[in-house]
Amino acid sequence: MRDILRILSGSRRFLVGFFMFGAVVLFAWIGPYLIDTDPFTRVGGLYSPPSKEAWLGTDNFGRDVLAQLMYGTRTSLWIGLVGGVVATLIGVTVGTVAGYRGGWIEEALMGLTNVLITIPSIVVLILLSIAVDSRSATVMGVIIGITAWPWTARAVRAQTSSLKTREHIDIARISGVGTLEIMLVEVLPYMLSYIGMAFVLQFSEGILSEATLSMLGLGPFQTVSLGVMLNWALLWEAVRVGAWWAFIPPTIFLAITSFSLMLMNAGMDEVFNPRLRQHQ
Amino acid sequence: MTSLVGVEKGWRWLGVTALIFTLFLASLFMTAVDVYAQRLPRNETLYKAGLQWGPPSSFNPFGANVAWPINNELLIYETLFAYNLLTGELDPVLARSYEWVDDATLVVTLHDGTRWQDGAPLTASDVAYTVSLGDKYSVNFSPIWDHLTGVHVLDDRRVQFTLSENAHKGMVLNYLTTIRIVPEHIWVEIEAQEGGITQFANLNPVGSGPYRLLRFSPEQIVVERDDNYWGKGVYGTPAPRFIVHPIFRSNDAGNLALERAQVDLSQQFVPEVWKMWEDRGLPVSTWFDEAPYFIPASIPTLFINVHKGALANPLVRRALAYAIDYERIAETAMSRYSPPARSSMIIPVGVPEQAYFSEELVEEHGWRYDPAEAVRILEEELGATKGPDGIYVLPDGTRLGPFTVQCPFGWTDWMTALEIVAESARAVGIDVRTEFPEQPVWNDRLQTGNFDMILNTPAGGYTPAHPWLRFRDVLDIRGVPEMGSIAFRNWNRYENPRVAELLDQAAVATDEAELARIYQELDKIFMQDVPAIPLMYRPWEFFTYNETYWTNFPSDDNPYTSPLHNHTGVRVYFNVRPAQ
Repeated sequence: MRDILRILSGSRRFLVGFFMFGAVVLFAWIGPYLIDTDPFTRVGGLYSPPSKEAWLGTDNFGRDVLAQLMYGTRTSLWIGLVGGVVATLIGVTVGTVAGYRGGWIEEALMGLTNVLITIPSIVVLILLSIAVDSRSATVMGVIIGITAWPWTARAVRAQTSSLKTREHIDIARISGVGTLEIMLVEVLPYMLSYIGMAFVLQFSEGILSEATLSMLGLGPFQTVSLGVMLNWALLWEAVRVGAWWAFIPPTIFLAITSFSLMLMNAGMDEVFNPRLRQHQ
Repeated sequence: MTSLVGVEKGWRWLGVTALIFTLFLASLFMTAVDVYAQRLPRNETLYKAGLQWGPPSSFNPFGANVAWPINNELLIYETLFAYNLLTGELDPVLARSYEWVDDATLVVTLHDGTRWQDGAPLTASDVAYTVSLGDKYSVNFSPIWDHLTGVHVLDDRRVQFTLSENAHKGMVLNYLTTIRIVPEHIWVEIEAQEGGITQFANLNPVGSGPYRLLRFSPEQIVVERDDNYWGKGVYGTPAPRFIVHPIFRSNDAGNLALERAQVDLSQQFVPEVWKMWEDRGLPVSTWFDEAPYFIPASIPTLFINVHKGALANPLVRRALAYAIDYERIAETAMSRYSPPARSSMIIPVGVPEQAYFSEELVEEHGWRYDPAEAVRILEEELGATKGPDGIYVLPDGTRLGPFTVQCPFGWTDWMTALEIVAESARAVGIDVRTEFPEQPVWNDRLQTGNFDMILNTPAGGYTPAHPWLRFRDVLDIRGVPEMGSIAFRNWNRYENPRVAELLDQAAVATDEAELARIYQELDKIFMQDVPAIPLMYRPWEFFTYNETYWTNFPSDDNPYTSPLHNHTGVRVYFNVRPAQ
């Protein structure tokens, strides 16, 4: 683990991304302890401009935008995390099983994956979001996760197919090691770097998907997220009214969060991908 | 040889492609010319917004999904009278006057010289014919026949309406302001066609009004002044030669156009409209130049399912009513266009019915925002205890929620109001959650009674029959089908045997003191049973104007007509003047 960190810290891109992301996380988790404002309490009028009481003004409900931003970022990060974990789990499982087992299982799983890739995931996302009764942040994360895994599955299958022809796997098989154990112990560890990168990317995509869904009015119920903030700003014409504080901060946070994750992904690619490493 | 054929084929294809491309360019050019030719002189054109959403498909006043201006203005088809929101009187349009010969006989006299746009005279027989269509077919004004037994032509100018027993006079008068009179000589032929009068698209409407339909497209509808209008001698000539209704895709596009003077008069909800003149110095105005800016005329009301679970208990509903922050709804959801809602089915300000509002009654039997009182009702009167999640549980183990409150997605002021309801309720300890389905879904749930709580305006618009109509729509179970079937009022199927009697008394009462007494008794029943909670007041129609190109719109300082687009709103066009 320490080795991985040491290798990663060699990439400037990764470091910049990591610290930017860390700052966002700190803001979302520690921020609420520093300012004592409830994100759902009215502190001013409809779109009151920034003041000493509300540093970033108020939203269309008269609620403090800074407090909304802290809690909203927290919700968005949580949805992205859940989405990323679910998508990576499904993608890696499907990809490894398909790649290692081969035959009709591979055909079936990859067929399914390819079909899902051709269906625009936003359509599935919208349909699923309408279908569920309770859209909590976690449920939304799961929904996003189960529509986002096919690309990961395809890449993991390709890696597994190539890995399974390696000698150490043949040796394990001859020694009578079970299929599950081979997949877990002999195959997966060789793809960890790749899985980590896929997860970071899925995390970022999860955050953006949440924003997309919320902008369409399909966001999580009874909570605030960056997308929900943008949705209300859009509905209440913040742009026309000139209430920049209602839509610029959440946009910036969305951009910073996904950009930092992309940077981390690029940095990891730089370190782990042998072809890129040679060019350095 | 084959290669030569191939070359020849290639040339042929190239020729065809070039031809198609040339045609495409030519059509582009022609469209551009066409658009240019269609540009209307700005100083003769008044632009409107907020009365047409989506491409127009029908100009049939009896059809479904009727386009502007048939749906909401008296520009092409006219009514007999127009309701004046300021005076509560019926102002003349096609008719000059009406007279009650006795309690069951109403005689309406038309203006002299009324004429259709095709030159044919408009007579009493056209009026009787149009009203009788409501008896023959199921159209939007068919319910007038619940109050009528017949319509007869007395002579060329006079029509007699005979009322049925227990008819409500206000309802009959109301229909005289909403039925668009159509020419008999044209519509008898339409009746004979397949599909009849309701399916007909009527793309070349012939009416009697001051404007004719010039053209329409998915982007805009244009009407042009009819210089042969019969009413020139009575009402004068409207100033704008053209009135255009651009069709915007969203509220903010329309509001931006108003801000830039691309729209002169708007029916759209504009958040914080005062900023347009206070902060930006734009020549934009509303009826009042300070809050509430518009005249409150309807009550968006939260209907509670009185047959479902804990909500069937009036004390739970009362606790909820005390929990809601009405002032915050007025301030943010309604952008200050509403005073905070009172616990009454009578609008306390602005409109003629305010005379029936009783402050003492509301103080004694009603509610106001008071979370402590909500908690007291929950704990002391209901014996509820707070669960570990902060939500109250009744002694029988029923948790108060989750209940959903719903309204259509995109109705921003309503959505915001419901968010505040949910937040206020949770703050007290009742678990309320918002849901914003698409409009048709909301409508279906509303009509079939499939909801916990749902927001809708009972008896929207304003008529001579208000507030009677509102009380009937909220409290009267007669004629309302059971849950699961389509209901057009009393969506929560509230039932109280005393209501019918009081409503019938009010329908025939003429003495104002007697009416006030009856309405207050109905209001008391409403406040005691809490079948619904008024959340805010809303203007009948929003009326915001930009005076860059046209001036002399009506306002509180210049109240020559009421701030409406429908009804007396047609007088606006006769009074506005070009700004230069």
